[in-house]
Amino acid sequence: MKGGRGGRWSWPVRVASVLVAAGLWQVLTATDARLWLRFDRLPTLDEIAAEAARQLATPVYVLDLLQSLIRILTGFGLATVAGVAAGVALGRSARTRDVLLPLLEVVRPIPAIALVPVAILLFPTDEQGIVFITFVAAFFPIAVSTRHAVRALPTLFEDAVRTLGGARRHVLWHVVLPGILPGVFGGLSVGIGVAWICVISAEMISGEFGVGYRTWQAYTLVDYPAVIVGMATIGLLGWLTSAAVELVGRRITRWLPRGERTTT
Amino acid sequence: MTTLVRAEQEQTGLGFTLERVSLGYGRDLVVQEIDLRVVPGEVLVVVGASGSGKSTLLRALAGLLTPVSGRILAGDADVAGTSGERAMVFQDDGLLPWRSVRRNIELPLRIRKVGRRERAAAAHAWIERVGLNEAEDKLPRELSGGMRQRVQLARALVASPRAVLMDEPFGALDAQTRAQMQRVLLDVLRDTRATVVFVTHDVDEALLLADRVAVLGGHGVRTVLDVRGTADRASLRDRILKEL
Repeated sequence: MKGGRGGRWSWPVRVASVLVAAGLWQVLTATDARLWLRFDRLPTLDEIAAEAARQLATPVYVLDLLQSLIRILTGFGLATVAGVAAGVALGRSARTRDVLLPLLEVVRPIPAIALVPVAILLFPTDEQGIVFITFVAAFFPIAVSTRHAVRALPTLFEDAVRTLGGARRHVLWHVVLPGILPGVFGGLSVGIGVAWICVISAEMISGEFGVGYRTWQAYTLVDYPAVIVGMATIGLLGWLTSAAVELVGRRITRWLPRGERTTT
Repeated sequence: MTTLVRAEQEQTGLGFTLERVSLGYGRDLVVQEIDLRVVPGEVLVVVGASGSGKSTLLRALAGLLTPVSGRILAGDADVAGTSGERAMVFQDDGLLPWRSVRRNIELPLRIRKVGRRERAAAAHAWIERVGLNEAEDKLPRELSGGMRQRVQLARALVASPRAVLMDEPFGALDAQTRAQMQRVLLDVLRDTRATVVFVTHDVDEALLLADRVAVLGGHGVRTVLDVRGTADRASLRDRILKEL
């Protein structure tokens, strides 16, 4: 059974959940709690807030944030175009499956972040390497979801369009592309998540700017409040971009019965 | 007069000739070496028990299934693949769930690159004709079974095909809606010159709609009866039931 709707208590409960977690953090860090986990080295909420306020006033924070956003939007955008194209081709053409599937199946199990050394060797700049890692991370979930969505489309829709005079291109445009959108957006939701993991990791390893680089730099400088600000920034960016994907997906797939649409 | 209306008036029905046609899936032949002629402009209703090959025959006429052997001619040309001249109406409606009623009906015209204004006018005329004025902007999931079949009928006929192939279109409807849809169909067919091949397992529906009835069974065509102007429906019904 699908989860029920929270009704008018949904938002207050969500806000309260965040407030309780923040309160717990404050209690544990302010009292330097040393249970099995050690909270004595972590900053309190007021230290984090002070650091956030300081960083927000500097251009470096905004530049880092924009840098990471540009990287993820470029990598994710390219992965969306390539992933959907590859998924459709794999789902509809036996020849493409024969040519591409063995290659993709070999590369797919390799975590994108393990490609960092190759990316460094392959691309002239670190910037391009980071975008490449992000692209690879998002490409596979998008391509796989698209392929499954193509294969799950009822043949009835294609038969209908063909007997109305439609050629292959009409089937592609009027049946396949709109019909796979729910599946594609499932892949995009997963893709944007893994793309963030990889862009931040790649920035930590080989970046010169970006939220990931700045967070790792803060850790090496033992600036723990700045580490937490970096983490919160990453979390916020990830949440905002995922929410944007969900929102666009919901709007585009309004034709689905209510129970089959994504809800957040 | 719009080009579409003119095209509809000039269009004549498409005849079919089947010569020793065998149809099947893989090694299983459903229909073996049948000969059948569908006269241009007639309503031929194909009846038969489940598995007798009614739908398979219709898919072959549509070009969705290639015969294992034999020839199918549409007019003078071999059927090779699908064509907008031979529109098909499916039992499970086949409406595109992401397109509104109007946009579903406009689809064949869009495929033929008919201009936006003319497309909208033609779709609107058909929406009125099949009594869907209130549902023009609704999605298929918001419609009842009968309404969905009205949309499908309008979509199949909007571009004036020369043949309409109907695969048990009212099979899943309740008795009342079914009777209503049969009236809508008879009304619509009065104004079209298209050939209609209609598949059903309901003998009464066949007698109501048909000019001729073809009975399928035992991998072939058992009989073809001309039912036009025959007053004694009861004996016709008995003859068809005996052949089934």
